[in-house]
Amino acid sequence: MTSYLLRRLAGTVVLLVVMAALVYVIFYALPSNPAVLVCGKGCGGGQLAAIDHKLGLDQPEYLQFWHFLEGIVMGRDYSSGPDVSHCAAPCLGFSFQNDQPVLSLIAQRLPVSLSLTTGAMVVWLLIGVSAGVLSALREGRFTDRTVTALSVLAFGTPIFVSGMLLLILFCGFLHLLDFPVYVPLTEDPAAWAKNLLLPWFTLAISQAAVYARLTRTGMLEALSEEHIRTFRAYGLRERRIVGRHALRGALTPVISITAYDFGYILVGAMLTETLFGLPGLGQLIVQSSNNVDLPVVAGLTLVAGAAIVVANTVADLLYAVVDRRVVLA
Amino acid sequence: MMRRTSVLLTSAAVLAAAAACSSSGSSSTKSSAFDPRTCQGGTLYVLNQTDATAHHLDPARIYTSGGGAVTSMIFRALTTRHRVAGEAGNEVVPDLATDTGKPSDGATTWTYHLKDGLKFEDGTPITSKDVKWGVERAFAPELPGGIPYLRDWLVGGADYTGPYKGKELDSIQTPDDKTIVFKLRKPEGDFPYVATATQFAPVPKAKDDGTGYEKHPVASGPYKVQSHEQDKSLVLVRNPYWSRAVDDQRLACPDRVEGTYGLNPAVINQRLSSSAGKDANAITTDTNLSPAELVRINSDAGLKKRAVRGAFGQTIYLAFNTKVKPFDDARVRQAISYAVNRQAVVNAVGGSSLAKPATTFLPDQAAFGYQPYDYFPAGATGNAAKARELLAQAGHAGGLTITLAHRNNDGEQDGPAIATAVQAALKQAGITVNLKAYDEAGYADAIEKPATEPGMFVTSWGADWPTGGPFLAPIFDGRQILKEGGNFNASQLNDPKINAEFDDINKIADPAQARPRWGALDAEIGRQALTVPLFHPIYIRLMGKNVKNAYVEEWRGMYDPAMLSVR
Repeated sequence: MTSYLLRRLAGTVVLLVVMAALVYVIFYALPSNPAVLVCGKGCGGGQLAAIDHKLGLDQPEYLQFWHFLEGIVMGRDYSSGPDVSHCAAPCLGFSFQNDQPVLSLIAQRLPVSLSLTTGAMVVWLLIGVSAGVLSALREGRFTDRTVTALSVLAFGTPIFVSGMLLLILFCGFLHLLDFPVYVPLTEDPAAWAKNLLLPWFTLAISQAAVYARLTRTGMLEALSEEHIRTFRAYGLRERRIVGRHALRGALTPVISITAYDFGYILVGAMLTETLFGLPGLGQLIVQSSNNVDLPVVAGLTLVAGAAIVVANTVADLLYAVVDRRVVLA
Repeated sequence: MMRRTSVLLTSAAVLAAAAACSSSGSSSTKSSAFDPRTCQGGTLYVLNQTDATAHHLDPARIYTSGGGAVTSMIFRALTTRHRVAGEAGNEVVPDLATDTGKPSDGATTWTYHLKDGLKFEDGTPITSKDVKWGVERAFAPELPGGIPYLRDWLVGGADYTGPYKGKELDSIQTPDDKTIVFKLRKPEGDFPYVATATQFAPVPKAKDDGTGYEKHPVASGPYKVQSHEQDKSLVLVRNPYWSRAVDDQRLACPDRVEGTYGLNPAVINQRLSSSAGKDANAITTDTNLSPAELVRINSDAGLKKRAVRGAFGQTIYLAFNTKVKPFDDARVRQAISYAVNRQAVVNAVGGSSLAKPATTFLPDQAAFGYQPYDYFPAGATGNAAKARELLAQAGHAGGLTITLAHRNNDGEQDGPAIATAVQAALKQAGITVNLKAYDEAGYADAIEKPATEPGMFVTSWGADWPTGGPFLAPIFDGRQILKEGGNFNASQLNDPKINAEFDDINKIADPAQARPRWGALDAEIGRQALTVPLFHPIYIRLMGKNVKNAYVEEWRGMYDPAMLSVR
């Protein structure tokens, strides 16, 4: 187990460095100059050169990338005007636009994205797995067809449409909820949950559709396996067969996809965060991309990559728990 | 295409929401009249797409026109915009200073005296040295983003790198605590307008820690910052050391101002139209109504009352790079001017409620010195015959194929909607237009650098203050061509006679005398067909049902939060 985790860790570090290098290559291929955006309208000549120097953009590209990697290990110094401020390791750099350490920007927004993703995941798993099981057990009947039709509809509805419709219905028309504003969990747990209800369901609707289909397929496959037939032949109760044996087999692919989705949505819930004004990592990556804010984009890419790798590792570990035939070595 | 689809769908959704909510919105509007003497109290909410302070709450780093919306509630400058509705809102008036500035030495020296009783939020008196420090620190490379005029105008400004290394800018003198004198490199009659910018707000040296200052900026206006989370939120509370006795340009009615940023534009307008709960006290300082939203609002009396209309000096136009073929030939540019169908362009951006056809580069407001002209009369729908005739003279009798560059979205009114309308009109005149779309970040870089500038592109210009100078000079003064980027002189016109006229008008310190000269200069440049003015936008903003005393000020095309009441 330990050697497995060490190998995964080493692979992750290599993967993240390659990802960061790719972000830098893509960035330098762009025609945009972030110094112009930072400098403002009508800025040119010496002032532009001074900004270039301050942002480190006057250095060769490979050196900029090297300093980025160096900052992660050693930390970096930045001029604040009267003083020099130190960004301690692991330093992902300073945002071009916001003049804040990238890590601190990410840390400020991580709780929002974690709140959104975790809550949505609970909702989509509850709805998706339940609907999938129900659909499999009623294969070919009205319930199955209804779940299938709803899944197609939910999956085919873009988030900005489903989210807007929920907003209109619950906030604009029925006035059951206020328009969402993010409230930290530590500040007011009830308000946190109430304000995240719509974003959770918006994000979960399309995800639940996928999970319903996935669970249905897994369940049908599991229910047709020989050991299930054997259990039935021995007269085990159907509830026990479904809940304990068939569902366990069906959940293996669900766990894998859940882990991947969690890591991806943690940083990539751009539409939901933008629609509901949630100041999370997805919104940050949109703002940073628009502002050609390389350090933030590179930092977020690393965090996203790390999140997906960690989530996948967790999924692998859970595999072994759910399916005892799997051995990690 | 994806983005356009989403805009259409969200607009449709907003309309449905507006329909659902409009009855409650209109019926519960308070009927009590606005009275500035009793307007104090309540919380004003600001719902914005972007941070109302443009990321940074540092007066050195904010690029505003007339001091900005929310920012001018925190920071006072030497002068400010006249906070009244209508054309008078284009005037500059004193703020911290006793007057708009006393020019001498042919408008190369400007002297200001501070009013009595001015204090920072901590009770410390505001002195002229604080204003000098505020201006000087805007030169520091660590604090970029502010107005470019200081560097260009102040003697020694070009090489100055800020006060943090102990060097003062000698062209700003403070003979006493009440007086500040600015020495300019050349005559600048518009200096009082520039002095409205937040770079002219006082900053106490003792509290300045460079890039960290934005975490705790010291207020001189009616509100101080309680909290600011970059790109997320802002909370302002009353500055106890401010009063109307020392400020006749801000009513500051609400007790508190709360800004929420990072919102979707469709959601902002939906919240304002619903006006439920706190949103009844809400405004936006950065979100317009889309054409689809406008249709619904126009048909609902309750919502219509809450949609404020007004102008802002801005022109959307086709720009030509005269250094590339075939746009180096004036006859080709004239042919395109004749061929353009302004009615189609206006329809493309939402119709006559949102746009007024333009044939002059200067906006049609007196403050700019507007002088009507139409040298290449295209009528409402274009004059294809005349355009063909000119093309034939230019050697393109068999037709012409050109490329029109534009942004890949219509958010800034320089996107595909206008480009396709122009494309269709030019086809009537035998001109085949290939469209080239640029993404958000790449467009500005491409069009603002002479080396990468396309031959023809859709763009817009709005001046930093409402006079002819900032509207014309960046676009047509040959000495403002910036090779390295940030260039707005797209035609790359560098005519010594026109440059000299800019210098002459800049010597005039009285706006009333300068106006006709700016108008005449615009009319003179217009003969060269260096641009094709398309339209001047009209702005319509929505607000919550409790918001009173809202009007769109002419200076900025936005209502002024410092004048609003929610009681």
